Amino acid sequence: MSEQERRPEDDGQDFANAAWSIPSYLLAGMAIYGGAGWLLDRWLDTSAFFPIGVVLGIVLSVYLVYRKYGR
Amino acid sequence: MITLTAPAEDQFKAPSPDELFTFSPIINGVDWFTKPVLLALLSSVVVIWFCWAAFGSPKIVPRGVQNVAEYGYMFVRDQVARPFLGKDADRWMGLLVTLFFMVLLWNIMGVIPVVQFPVASHIAFPAVLAGSIYVLKVYLGIKHQGAVGYFKNMMFPPGLPKGIYLLLAPIEFLSNLIIAPFTHAVRLFANMFAGHMLLAFFSMVGFWFLFEKLTPLGAGVGVVGVIMTIIFTGFELFIQFLQAFLFAMLAAMYIGGSLHAEH
Amino acid sequence: MMKAATLLAAEEGSNPLIPHTFELVVGIFSFFVVLFVVGRLLVPRIQKTLAERTDAIEGGIKRAEEAQAEAQNLQKQYREQLAEARQEAGRLREEAREQAAQIRAELREEAQAEARRLVDAAHAQIEADRQAAFTQLRAEIGRLSTDLAGRIVGESLEDEARQRRVVDRFLDELESSNAQAVR
Repeated sequence: MSEQERRPEDDGQDFANAAWSIPSYLLAGMAIYGGAGWLLDRWLDTSAFFPIGVVLGIVLSVYLVYRKYGR
Repeated sequence: MITLTAPAEDQFKAPSPDELFTFSPIINGVDWFTKPVLLALLSSVVVIWFCWAAFGSPKIVPRGVQNVAEYGYMFVRDQVARPFLGKDADRWMGLLVTLFFMVLLWNIMGVIPVVQFPVASHIAFPAVLAGSIYVLKVYLGIKHQGAVGYFKNMMFPPGLPKGIYLLLAPIEFLSNLIIAPFTHAVRLFANMFAGHMLLAFFSMVGFWFLFEKLTPLGAGVGVVGVIMTIIFTGFELFIQFLQAFLFAMLAAMYIGGSLHAEH
Repeated sequence: MMKAATLLAAEEGSNPLIPHTFELVVGIFSFFVVLFVVGRLLVPRIQKTLAERTDAIEGGIKRAEEAQAEAQNLQKQYREQLAEARQEAGRLREEAREQAAQIRAELREEAQAEARRLVDAAHAQIEADRQAAFTQLRAEIGRLSTDLAGRIVGESLEDEARQRRVVDRFLDELESSNAQAVR
């Protein structure tokens, strides 16, 4: 949707989009990077990458939501 | 409820999910025909009957059932379809009205006396609807944005620094194509599941302490249970309506997202 | 077989996140039946009715506006006609006044002319009478005078021509002196 044809209800729509996307993005981020860290841990026989991956996933998800809906 | 463990006989025991959500067949030998199945079919019949009575031969000046059903229609149109689909709203009203009325009825079955079981608290029913919406969403996305365009728009939203795409694309993919439909179904299911558990628990407290084992001390607890049952029944009614609205709203959101690429 | 199925069902029941196969089937069936009847058949009907209602309301508003416009038009027309009639009446009154004045003037003119004509006729009559009297008197006076003079002088003035010359001269003198006296 381009800038010119923005209607007042678009703001509400954006808000709803963001509100219902955030949990989904957080879960996805944690799953992807937490999963990658877990695999890395299993492969290298370490235990640090799983929590790092989870945190990274959360950070990336929050960043993504912020860039998409934050402004 | 039959409790098999002996020491629980004279003690209050909270109902377990298994007791509340597992049903034996209504007719012996017809395994598939259980209470949730019966209620699901009944809900469909009621929704069709209600809509037929209201919209079968609609009048310019609405009367009776049509008036009530029009409120529902207007609600879906103004709160669900138009905010998310804009000028495409009218095309999808059929689907959204069906979703809203069906989910609402499935949920309301949970507070109707005697019936008292929310159909949507069995994951199969929300899953069917969410799965259908999911298929529709992907189909519409590919149809309107092209197979490549759809996935490109989804995984590489414009306006982000180039390098970060590599990290974010998997999140977008997982979020949109796997987690979103899952949460779509699970949100409805979990709300109904928990609500039913809560209602069952409080009514069980009331029943147990006031009828099964009436003691001076326990009577107070029983009264509290009854009051809580009444309060939570009202609260559940609200939640059931809210969840039906949210389910239809998310469906509209997904359809809208597939018709037009996100900005 | 049957026992296995029941066992399976019981097993499925223990995990609320795993859907029962038969419930999926019933769910799909009931959803699509409702979608067809409500979404395909009934919702278009109510949409049509709602569109018609909007049309009816808008049409009603439009009709009311038209009626109002017409009423205003009529009122305007009526006012215009009234003003026109008033103007016409004023014009007629004015015309009548003018006509009356004209008639009065004409009558006066006529009366005056008539009076003048009568006066003139009277004058002419008087003049003619005077002339006739004068002429007659003149001849009479001449004859009387000669008779008188003849009788006084004792001399008969037989000669007619001479007599007349003398009388005329006398009269001319008399007339001129008379005129001088008048003047």
